[in-house]
Amino acid sequence: MVELEQIGKRFADGAQILSEVSLRLEPGGFYFLTGASGTGKTTLLQIICLAQPPSHGRLTLFGTDTAGLDRPARAALRRRMGIVFQDFRLIDEMSAGDNVALPLRVTGATPRQIRDNVPELLAWVGLAERGEAPAATLSGGERQRLAIARAVVRRPELLLADEPAGNVDDDVALGLMRVFERINQLGTTVLIATHDLAFARRFGHQHFHLDRRELLDAGGAPVP
Amino acid sequence: MIALRWGRQRRDLPLRQSASARWLPWVLALMVYLAGLGGVGLTLLHDTLRAARGSLAASLTLLVPAEASPARLETVLAVLRQTRGIVSARLLPPAEVARLLEPWLGSSVVLAELPVPRLIDIRVEPDGGTDFAVLRQHLASVVPGAHLEDYQPWLAGMRAAARRVDGVLVAAIVVALLLMAVSAGFAARFDLVAQRSVIELLLLLGADDGDIAHPLAMRSLRLGLWGGALGAAGVLLTTIALGDAGSLIRSPAPPAAIGIADWRLWAILVGAVVAAGLIAMASARATVLRRLARMV
Repeated sequence: MVELEQIGKRFADGAQILSEVSLRLEPGGFYFLTGASGTGKTTLLQIICLAQPPSHGRLTLFGTDTAGLDRPARAALRRRMGIVFQDFRLIDEMSAGDNVALPLRVTGATPRQIRDNVPELLAWVGLAERGEAPAATLSGGERQRLAIARAVVRRPELLLADEPAGNVDDDVALGLMRVFERINQLGTTVLIATHDLAFARRFGHQHFHLDRRELLDAGGAPVP
Repeated sequence: MIALRWGRQRRDLPLRQSASARWLPWVLALMVYLAGLGGVGLTLLHDTLRAARGSLAASLTLLVPAEASPARLETVLAVLRQTRGIVSARLLPPAEVARLLEPWLGSSVVLAELPVPRLIDIRVEPDGGTDFAVLRQHLASVVPGAHLEDYQPWLAGMRAAARRVDGVLVAAIVVALLLMAVSAGFAARFDLVAQRSVIELLLLLGADDGDIAHPLAMRSLRLGLWGGALGAAGVLLTTIALGDAGSLIRSPAPPAAIGIADWRLWAILVGAVVAAGLIAMASARATVLRRLARMV
């Protein structure tokens, strides 16, 4: 599904964010990526979703080596993923429903396909009554759930979520986790980045831990 | 995954109008106005040259000194009529000469009291092989002081001047078209900057570059057509306002004019509008695709 080999990332200012990171996500797996702030979790997710190129190393997505891919091929790979951004990246002036419909529009879905899927997704995340509300008027928790609904509306093969429970209380966080687990049960591989190691350990899923730019598994050994 | 249509149906992406929509049509209108006037100017210039060639290249005037006797005039006419390439030679009657000179001398002057040369209007076959140097010598031997005035030097000068004006007009049109492309490209860059966060989001959601460039290019096409229509209206009004200005120029050639009934005017106007739309669209698309290639 996803394979990173010796991935490193150094920014133009010389800052080394990731060093020799290797990991493998199996189809249908549920994973956490943990680490303190600034250890490169977001950068690693951005590399996986092709928002940033690695400085070195090899990234394979859905069996395709991403090195040297042209832009249409990269876009095609992105359409197989769903992403929950740390800052949600909702379009505030659009309604909740239109925000959820956005990934469908990107892939050329018909109005009927949009009508069939969006209300169902909104109901799934508890926003059935808020579909017409502008995204700007939603609360923090509602925006978080809306971002998740948008990420999964295409039933992606891979779901990446960056600190999805970062700004909500414990009950809401548990509710969000239930949503992710239901998505995972439908066959989607899930990778959740969080700084909260204790939170990740509560659910018993495999997790990778980033420390000082390198990847350790839950036991502290570098992932081969 | 949801079964989706993967044909090349264009996606309805939420890319808003930006502030460039307010100024781009006016910039394009100005460029279309300049290019359209250039096109009308080129048409008039070529019409003028063609008309001058048609009416003047086959025409000469022989000025015979006023004191020449009728017998010598008859001899001159006979010489002319026997010369190869000359179709006709006609001595202008005094009344016709008076009419020709009236703009300069007025109607109250009695021509018979002035030493006005006698005028012979000569028509020659174009490319008729007339040897004007020999003819001039021959005429001078019959009537010393006879002066053969042809319009070839004037035409040659006009052609040379027309070539320069032609070059300037073509350059002005090309510059106007280039400025259209630059303006539309600049507006597209403005759109990209104004909507960068939405465009990045769309790219991360899997949008193709073409899907993002398409609505922006279509918007530029609409703005280009709208601006082009404004500019073309300006050209039309200017052409109507200057409709008979050519008649104010005193020239040996008939004045050229282009009116609203002239299909070429409409071809220029429609062409300018379509060109504005297509150039704006192509420039916006190329700019967006080039810029997107540097994004995520």
